[in-house]
Amino acid sequence: MDTAFRKIDIDQYDEDVLHESELYDADPRDPSQVLEEAKQRQAAVRTALSRSDVLSALTTILESPPYGPNVDQAKEITLQTLLTILNTTKSTEIPAVIKGLSQDAQDTLMKYLYKGMAMPGWGDISGSVLLGWHEKLTEIAGTGCIVRTLTDRRLV
Amino acid sequence: MAQEVHTLAQTPITSHSFSPDRTKLAASLNSNDVQIYSRQGAEWLPTETLSEHDKLITSIDWAPQSNRIVTASQDRNAYVWQEVQDPETGKVVWKPTLVLLRINRAATYVRWSPKEDKFAVASGARAIAICSFDEENNWWVSKLLKKPIRSTVLAVDWHPNNVLLAAGSADMKARVFSAYIKEVDDRPAATVWGSKLPFNTICGEYASPAGGWVHTVGFSPSGDVLAFASEYPFGYRRFASQLTDMHEGHDSSVNVVYPTGPVFNIRISSLPFVTLTWTAENSLVAAGHDCQPFVFSGSEEGWQSVGSLDDAAGAKAADGPRAGYGGNTSVGRLKTGAFATFRDADSRGQSSLGGAGSPTADTKLLTVHQNTITNIRPYQGHPSQVSLVSTTGVDGKLVIWDVNAVAGGR
Repeated sequence: MDTAFRKIDIDQYDEDVLHESELYDADPRDPSQVLEEAKQRQAAVRTALSRSDVLSALTTILESPPYGPNVDQAKEITLQTLLTILNTTKSTEIPAVIKGLSQDAQDTLMKYLYKGMAMPGWGDISGSVLLGWHEKLTEIAGTGCIVRTLTDRRLV
Repeated sequence: MAQEVHTLAQTPITSHSFSPDRTKLAASLNSNDVQIYSRQGAEWLPTETLSEHDKLITSIDWAPQSNRIVTASQDRNAYVWQEVQDPETGKVVWKPTLVLLRINRAATYVRWSPKEDKFAVASGARAIAICSFDEENNWWVSKLLKKPIRSTVLAVDWHPNNVLLAAGSADMKARVFSAYIKEVDDRPAATVWGSKLPFNTICGEYASPAGGWVHTVGFSPSGDVLAFASEYPFGYRRFASQLTDMHEGHDSSVNVVYPTGPVFNIRISSLPFVTLTWTAENSLVAAGHDCQPFVFSGSEEGWQSVGSLDDAAGAKAADGPRAGYGGNTSVGRLKTGAFATFRDADSRGQSSLGGAGSPTADTKLLTVHQNTITNIRPYQGHPSQVSLVSTTGVDGKLVIWDVNAVAGGR
């Protein structure tokens, strides 16, 4: 049976088609600016971690994270930096740190946990660390936080 | 028990609406027919079946003053049902009148306007049909609200002035439209939503913050505030309703909009809401995938969750402490029976399927509703002071709740 028709992009014949870019408000920042900010945050996180101030390191990295197209490098730096924080935090400290975060930051953290779990073997991702954080975060922020992560098109 | 529970069926109830005097109930049991129930003592007994649609009925609304029922269906039609006397047998029967909707996708939601001279039908055709009666031809005609809707409209709600309409849509926006029909409406007085209101004027457009479908919308009793709630866009559920004037979204948040002032976004820690209703100018009840109705209250100063109408936490305490996450009701559900069953099967190779009496065999939810609540409606009281609300859900239950019996803050 001829199945080639299944591959036809029918959206091209629809003048009222909904584009990816219309699903969320684009980041107003310029990609180069986003990259610059990501690097600055990376440095700020290192400073905070050297003082073993995990909460302020996390707050810094989770603030206005890069999302959308054309900022892949900034996304990569941010994820890498975040993983450093997650990996260096003692598991007993995790609940207190999460409780110190704003709701926005908690939602963003959940996005990064899922992103990390979707990239096994990348960088120094460890599944058990991510799952540990995921468990504690779900206890505190609820299943609603997971749903918002699944829904949000502003992918980090 | 602070609530009245009736099991109408073992199938999902897609929509329900009570007769004006609350002695009858129209419901659709996930089928092409409307079932009319009559109250006999403590029971609801099926008395009549309205069959005319040839696909699943998605929404029912029973007009409180004119005693007419309007139904919307996936067959792209709507019918208005009126009680008339059959000339041959002399019996009173429900007679359908077809509505010319002119839509090419399923009708998803229907609501009578406050004066009951119009109704709005939401549809998957990226349009809302505003229907009014044409005396000359003796049928219902429609006018379509189209722009700027980009996707299926999931819910609508009328402003008390009979002109403005709020709509929640799968394009992740809640909007307020003018549904002014020259032949029917008097010139509306200016409201907080605007003063000049020709048909299809956009009086407000609000995005759901985390990009969820707006499943339910609702104007406050005065019409000056809108609420909506949104849902996540995966696995579309037919019954996604959103709050208007308050939109509830599938991104697990409830939003309350003051058109001239602030917009409040209340993030909830539980699963998303799909339906909501206002119970007073400063409070509303929302329900959905978490199987229990939550009460929210607030003012222009701010909004917050007050608690649940379902005393699930109390039921749980009576059950004795459970392992795992305690305290938070919604999160506690993570470790209820089903979860434990799979965990044991995985970690210990145990199957509790045959083990009657084992605690892990218990997959009953602690909430009254055993599945998603798809519909919530005011049951008793003036719109500005509702005392009882009714809910129906996928579990086939009808529950009537006292809105003042809030169990446990969260």
